[in-house]
Amino acid sequence: MALLELQSITAGYDKNVILKDLDFQVEKGELVSLLGSSGCGKTTTLRLIAGFSTPMAGKFMFNGKDYTQVPLNKRNFGFVFQSYALFPHMTVFDNVAFGLKMRKVPQDQMKKEVMEMLETVDLGGFENRFPKEMSGGQRQRVALARALVIKPDLLLLDEPLSNLDAKLRVKMRVEIRRLQQKFGFTAIYVTHDQEECFAISDKVAIMNHGIIEQMDSPSAIYNHPKTEFIARFVGFENFMDLKAAGEGTYVLPDGSRIQAEGGGSGEAVKACIRPEDIVIIPEGGDGPNLLTGEVMVSTFLGKRHQYNVRTAIGEFEVSTDQESVYKIGDRVTLSLTPGKIILL
Amino acid sequence: MLEKKTKIYWLFILPGCLFLAFFMLIPLFSLLFKTFVNENGSFSMANYFALFESTYFKQVFWRSIRLSLTSTAVCAVLGFPTAYYISKYSKNKGVLMALAVFPMFTSPVIRSFSWMVILGKKGIVNDLLVKSGLIAKPISLLYNEFSMIVGFIQLFLPLMILSLIGIMDNISEDLNLAAGSLGASRISTFRHVVLPLSIPGLVTGSVLVFTGCLTAYTTPQLLGGTDTRVLATMIYQQAMSLGDWTQASVVAVVMIVVTVAVSSVINGISRKLNPTI
Repeated sequence: MALLELQSITAGYDKNVILKDLDFQVEKGELVSLLGSSGCGKTTTLRLIAGFSTPMAGKFMFNGKDYTQVPLNKRNFGFVFQSYALFPHMTVFDNVAFGLKMRKVPQDQMKKEVMEMLETVDLGGFENRFPKEMSGGQRQRVALARALVIKPDLLLLDEPLSNLDAKLRVKMRVEIRRLQQKFGFTAIYVTHDQEECFAISDKVAIMNHGIIEQMDSPSAIYNHPKTEFIARFVGFENFMDLKAAGEGTYVLPDGSRIQAEGGGSGEAVKACIRPEDIVIIPEGGDGPNLLTGEVMVSTFLGKRHQYNVRTAIGEFEVSTDQESVYKIGDRVTLSLTPGKIILL
Repeated sequence: MLEKKTKIYWLFILPGCLFLAFFMLIPLFSLLFKTFVNENGSFSMANYFALFESTYFKQVFWRSIRLSLTSTAVCAVLGFPTAYYISKYSKNKGVLMALAVFPMFTSPVIRSFSWMVILGKKGIVNDLLVKSGLIAKPISLLYNEFSMIVGFIQLFLPLMILSLIGIMDNISEDLNLAAGSLGASRISTFRHVVLPLSIPGLVTGSVLVFTGCLTAYTTPQLLGGTDTRVLATMIYQQAMSLGDWTQASVVAVVMIVVTVAVSSVINGISRKLNPTI
């Protein structure tokens, strides 16, 4: 049984429904990311789990118990805020000790645990500083320490790295992953940064308009998106309408045939392919799954070169690291790598 | 370039500075100067010694401070929950804020007269008390310290509420949620987070209310009696009725010193309670 289970949750403010009939499960010890653009409902989901708000309908089960109405201070979940939400009038020590103080942990033990936790997040010697005397990355680590020292049953992180610069973000996400693996805690991580979320998570749930479009391992999502939304999200730029003709053969709208992996029979399907999985060659060249077209736009991207090619079935975006450069108006042939065509 | 510009901008505050210098600083210092001089024109503290030896002045002095402190404390107690509700829970914040400051749109004179009507022997309060059987016949609620405190509170409570709302609006809701997620009940959250972080507002409000009460003239004049004089009404009495401008100036200086002293004490206490201010 899953550790955490949202059962047909509906939530929102007043008449504005943000989550519709949401189902979501997290297993013990997993780090699951909720990924999506702003307004997709990821933060609402997280705050609901934390107990900051209650759902309009549905049930939240945790560890086999109904947590839907359990108040936030009785849940024993750690929460790391985007704004860190450190208490500005308390020292680092008092910030981290707050949760233990509320649990009436004896002074000696409290001091020992706080100091150990500060060492763990590499902040030994900072205990008497005030939050305003620290850098963004240090505050972030105080926030983590404060949430972890209570040994939470679940750690919730709401875009914890979005206020840091790019370099620190990478460093901190490795740090979070290290702590998660060290303590083995279960965590839910909200972010809109795809790279960050793929790097850190065991599973990723991509949200769109209040529902989870797909929940899978990062590599499964990256290589086998199930919907067009997900495919676009993870970098598939080229979409085609196909009709299955059996045995891996598909008919394009212009009548030409291509080979792709996957079954299907007689039905119309949508397929997609990444720009880097299309080989661009001079017109008349040979290869599998050929299309001909004309270069419309040519963009130099440093390591790679990107072309927008107009074909009989629409415009294709092609990205190549080849040397030979095509000019606008050149006739070219595109070869779609068979194993890289993903059927949605 | 930039430096030159800054120099020119100095001119903008010049008219205001000149006005204040002529009409405030010069009279203030000449007042101050006069109080430290005896009949022969040499320096002397005699005026002050004489004042502090007078039993009448001592009575007035301590009454002023007692009334101001009491009013400040009551304003804090009444203002805190009001401000907290308006800042954190109300849906019609604008309306409630307008209501809170609404009394400030009337002059203190009108307000004092209103209190005379309400607190008088035939006023609503006495009426209710008699009808409910709590008292046999109307009691005297006017022209004493009670009516003055009531007047002060109504006069200055808006300042306390506004100062507190200003500070409470800046307390992020995330802090309350963070405290909650760490296991704090609503009461603990209030005690450990909201209250200490509201102290700057409480300080500003208290200083405003205290100095307001100490220097208010109309309210004590109209709602107080002849035997409940305070520093402000004493100054008027000394200067206008007795024509003793030096004595009035001495009292005025004492009033200023008390105001500054109490403000810094309150500030000092708040700094101890919340070191991040």
